[in-house]
Amino acid sequence: MKRTFLVRRNALLSSTHFSWGAAALAFAVLVLFVRLLAPNLFWYVATPVFRSADALATQGHSLLSRFGDATLLAAQNEQLAHQNVVLANENQTLSQKVESLLALLNPSATARNMKGILAGVIARPPESPYDTLVVAAGAEDGVVRGQEAFGPGGVPLGVVGAVLAHFSRVTLFSAPGRTTNGWIGRENLPLTIVGAGGGAFHASVARSAGIAVGDTVFVPGPGKLPIGVVSRIDSDPSSPVVILRIMPTLNLFSVTWVELRDTGIELLRSFQEATSTRI
Amino acid sequence: MIRGILTLGTFISVIFFPWPLTVLLALVSSLGEPLVPLAAGLFVDTLYYSPQASLAPFFTLLGALATGGAFFVRSRMRTGTIR
Repeated sequence: MKRTFLVRRNALLSSTHFSWGAAALAFAVLVLFVRLLAPNLFWYVATPVFRSADALATQGHSLLSRFGDATLLAAQNEQLAHQNVVLANENQTLSQKVESLLALLNPSATARNMKGILAGVIARPPESPYDTLVVAAGAEDGVVRGQEAFGPGGVPLGVVGAVLAHFSRVTLFSAPGRTTNGWIGRENLPLTIVGAGGGAFHASVARSAGIAVGDTVFVPGPGKLPIGVVSRIDSDPSSPVVILRIMPTLNLFSVTWVELRDTGIELLRSFQEATSTRI
Repeated sequence: MIRGILTLGTFISVIFFPWPLTVLLALVSSLGEPLVPLAAGLFVDTLYYSPQASLAPFFTLLGALATGGAFFVRSRMRTGTIR
């Protein structure tokens, strides 16, 4: 005997009522829950995806560069310019370190702090819309909150803001509104560097300071470490100060490895908190 | 079909492409699927938001704003061709 079934169509799966937007929202909420409940597992799953995205971007770049000699030369030029910047930064950093170490009576104390943790970058700007890096080293590798991240050539990039077992998140100095104390020029003029997003910074100094385009901006490292170069000076004739537009010495979009080490930023912050609340 | 491709494309763009392209795709998707900008914003902040870098998860808020705008436009165009 032939039985007939009444097939009830699910309204959610029906092609006329299926909402891609609702499905996307449900997926995003699910990912958010995984991120909140099992962050380390989340990054374990996400890491291969980010790595493949990185590889795809590299492959795409090399494929496009084969289309013409001019493009190939431009790519080589870009690579050499990048290497040059890295070497120049390294040179500046080393010379500053030598000066600092010679000035110190006990150089071994500084050397103890130079041991860092090497970490691969999983996500970086511009895919990461906020000025953050996700790196593949966490608490089990010895990373703690407050450690500073350094790029090739010893360029300071940011501070570790969150630590998981095997992953960490570095907030870059260029994050919008983030302030960092540093110096500028040969006279070591102190200034407050403010993050402007997208790897850039700005700062204001007195017009009489005589800062020019191309002057290097430094931050404490140990010693003085180059963080950027003045690319433009905005000046209003009615104002006694000028606004410096600072571009980073290192291209944040191409950072693949960082070194994480303690520079005492967290200690300094704890001192400031202690003095502001207990005294 | 186009809506599905645009929705998937937006999510893939979050990981593989710069964020301005993601924003563009989410806005285009919102013409057919108003919830996509909110979903994409939530996904972006799930992956990349850091309290130290920003005061609020701006991409979720902007996505919610875009979704609200898309619903408003659709409510005004009920008699039009966009359903």
